[in-house]
Amino acid sequence: MLETAFLTTAAVLVVLAIAVLYRAIKGPTMQDRVIAVNVLGTNTVVILALLAVALDSPSFLDIALVYALLNFLLAVAISKFTVKRGEVI
Amino acid sequence: MSAVGIALVAFVAVTAVATVLVRDVLSAIIIFGAYSLGMALFYTLLLAPDVGLTEAAIGAGVTTILLLVTIAKTTRPIGDRVLASINWPAAVVVGVLAVLIGSTVPYIPTDNFTGGLTPVIANPNVTGYYLEMTYADTGVTNAVTAVLAAYRGFDTFGEAVVVFAAGVAVLVVLHTEVFS
Repeated sequence: MLETAFLTTAAVLVVLAIAVLYRAIKGPTMQDRVIAVNVLGTNTVVILALLAVALDSPSFLDIALVYALLNFLLAVAISKFTVKRGEVI
Repeated sequence: MSAVGIALVAFVAVTAVATVLVRDVLSAIIIFGAYSLGMALFYTLLLAPDVGLTEAAIGAGVTTILLLVTIAKTTRPIGDRVLASINWPAAVVVGVLAVLIGSTVPYIPTDNFTGGLTPVIANPNVTGYYLEMTYADTGVTNAVTAVLAAYRGFDTFGEAVVVFAAGVAVLVVLHTEVFS
């Protein structure tokens, strides 16, 4: 019962991710896209945590942690690129 | 397939098509990052967390930064259109190919995935030997690691030599080339 609830929540969050995707594709500015992908990353972390509970495998939480770290890295890299085009590293 | 799986299929399909259609390369890279997020979720949902972790590190992390460094050499397209015009002949060819590959999916033997009694293995004798004798032979608990680093150690060593030689060759070429 509780597993179904968690899985349903995860499914709803994935559908919401598709809605956020509209902003990532449409833009219009690059900042909109960066924030949209950031939201998608946070969404992914939450979905992973839900899956970890629903599928009863705590090792998924490690992936969620990696994602939380990478999400930050991704946003910083893209932001730095847009502010000063060409100097990522 | 569960509701999460169906929603993820839609998400991955939308991001994949959008990556191709967006005109601005930077937007394409950002949407490709979103695609990578979806794929990693997919791998995790299919109970392959190690593949999901690799997709997270390589697909979303390293690839995005490498692509950003690469497009620093390019210029942005002029104009306000978000989506590129579609090359219909190429789109038809790709669509036919996708349908062809998709039509093979129902014929994949699924015993392995649904917990059937007869697992689908190419060489049952070899695989069975590896799974049973790995720890006794090599003392490595992970069977995949044992096959790569112990049973096929020379093979892996050769691969490492090839990759190293390719890297050295690239460095040599980049250092002698003069950009004017």
